[in-house]
Amino acid sequence: MSLPCGIRNYTYARDMTILRTRTHWALFTGLLALLLTAPLYLGNYWLGVGNLIGITLIAALGLNILVGYCGQLSIGHAGFIAVGAYTSAILTNRFELPFLIGLISAGITAGIIGIIFGLPSVRVKGFYLAITTIAAQFIIIWVINHWGLTGGFEGINVPYASIGGLVFDNDAKQFYLIMVIAALGVFFAKNLARTKIGRAFIAIRDNDLAAEVMGVNLLYYKLLAFFIGCFFAGIAGALLAHWTGTLSAEQFSFTESILYVGMIIIGGLGTTLGPILGVVFIRILQQLLTVEVVPWLEGTFTMFPAGFASGVAPMFFGLVIVLFLILEPRGLAHRWALLKAAYRLWPFSY
Amino acid sequence: MAEFLQFFITGIAVGMVYALIALAFVLIWKSSSVANLALGQIVLLSSWFTYSMLVQANLPVWLALPLVIIFALFLGWVIERFTLRPLIAQPILSLIAVTLGIGYFIEGIITFIWPWSVDALPRLFPRDVIHIGPAVISQEYAWVVGICLFVFVLLTLFFRYHKMGIAMRATADDQMAVQACGIPVTRVFSRSWMFACVVAAIGGVLISSIGGITHGLIETGLKSFSVVILGGLDSFGGAIIAGPIIGLCESLGGGYLTPYTWAGVKDIIPFVIIIIVMTIKPYGLFGETRIERI
Repeated sequence: MSLPCGIRNYTYARDMTILRTRTHWALFTGLLALLLTAPLYLGNYWLGVGNLIGITLIAALGLNILVGYCGQLSIGHAGFIAVGAYTSAILTNRFELPFLIGLISAGITAGIIGIIFGLPSVRVKGFYLAITTIAAQFIIIWVINHWGLTGGFEGINVPYASIGGLVFDNDAKQFYLIMVIAALGVFFAKNLARTKIGRAFIAIRDNDLAAEVMGVNLLYYKLLAFFIGCFFAGIAGALLAHWTGTLSAEQFSFTESILYVGMIIIGGLGTTLGPILGVVFIRILQQLLTVEVVPWLEGTFTMFPAGFASGVAPMFFGLVIVLFLILEPRGLAHRWALLKAAYRLWPFSY
Repeated sequence: MAEFLQFFITGIAVGMVYALIALAFVLIWKSSSVANLALGQIVLLSSWFTYSMLVQANLPVWLALPLVIIFALFLGWVIERFTLRPLIAQPILSLIAVTLGIGYFIEGIITFIWPWSVDALPRLFPRDVIHIGPAVISQEYAWVVGICLFVFVLLTLFFRYHKMGIAMRATADDQMAVQACGIPVTRVFSRSWMFACVVAAIGGVLISSIGGITHGLIETGLKSFSVVILGGLDSFGGAIIAGPIIGLCESLGGGYLTPYTWAGVKDIIPFVIIIIVMTIKPYGLFGETRIERI
């Protein structure tokens, strides 16, 4: 472990803690203060971006637990997010149930669907499992498009979230809701890695036959990984539904799934900081591209056929994913760890 | 009866094209154990390039189609050389993710160069109808089946008799032994990617000459994964046999189930078949069962 000089752990609790030094606590309270007062200094637009980042972060944390900690390839995450979103939408819209019940049932339903489509993971791994999750994504989207309960192709309207009498009807209030749930999600994911379940996941990722020999119940832990990963996705989907107001199946395309896998790979698999960095990186780039670059391109190069600049975002993100995989496969979290180590060891950082 | 024959022949033709695209996948998987998830986008890109050659540049057919093949060779070479060569022997998640990234990139290029989302290719095959029993089918389907069979025979002969074909089979079998014999494995990977892209391009041209170029070609590429799974991931014969099977299931299922269930059942049948095959026989009809040891 790379501890700063002079810091020693005298108890087990101190050894396992997340925030160890006084600097850690100071920075952490600073971050909390920054986040909690964000609606005061961020405009409505950036609050919206922050909400999107929070929602994506919850889903990406789930995918990271599934792929990064447990090693089960899943390229159908957008489908599970869609399950959560539509469950919450149907429960609050058609059946008029309160938001919190919709939220929890969205998570549980997505988790159960994740378990159903994750059953092949006990028999196959690698590419076979990836194909199964791709098929799962397409089946889920098809069912959403063709089932009357989910509104078919027209989509479904979702009322604002409300807890007790408090209605979350503007970006600032939803920012608090989403940030609280995202913070809980990060805390849960970070702690998961330190518990017996997390260690079982990592054992399965590294060599599942050896893990089975050691006594790790593969069926239980693989399905649990799918449940937890898709539970996170369901919660994210429910929050997404109540944030955007209307749902349609185009928001949950295969391209979104590719983007999620890209986010956790760019951020760094198997760490908790990874999804945060990856999500922030990709979402802010997306905002910059769609709001700044694309209209500028459309305006300057008018000799090209109309709509050509909407291809710039996929080109850019595809290139970014490929470059990260070739040049830095361990992601931004690894770069950050190297930076911290270099800072700590300066001037001997070579 | 006429309806049944209609569905049957359409299903066989479409299934043959699925088999072609599946062959492209199996080719890359067998030689380098890389799962190429960008096939749908490669098919779409080749179809748009054909459109570019035939319609935008107005070249004659005998010049445009060889140019498409050269383009596909070049595309395969570029993809292998610059994105997969640096990732040799990386874990499979990296390889799958890099092909996903390449597919996403190609999708962006397609929207960049041809932003209108649908178009039609000029008639490549004669459209006159032929009568088989009570069914009336257009000649295009017969041409498609014929060309697919021709490509299968060509590939089989190549793998059996040509030096590079034998080298590819040997690399698929035991890479280290091949390196010990002095065969440049990177060149084998490169050639296999180039041929796979050519086969996918031919499949794309065939299917877009019937149905036009749409964004749904990417889904066609994904449906051909069901052919790969059903036939077995590392079996050429499996892909050739499973292709018409999936095409028939899709066509007959779509034709007979649509009045009773939802419209669009046709699209979901290949994916449901994937799930069924995964639960019953994950390695497909002719695939090799993976036995893993610690």
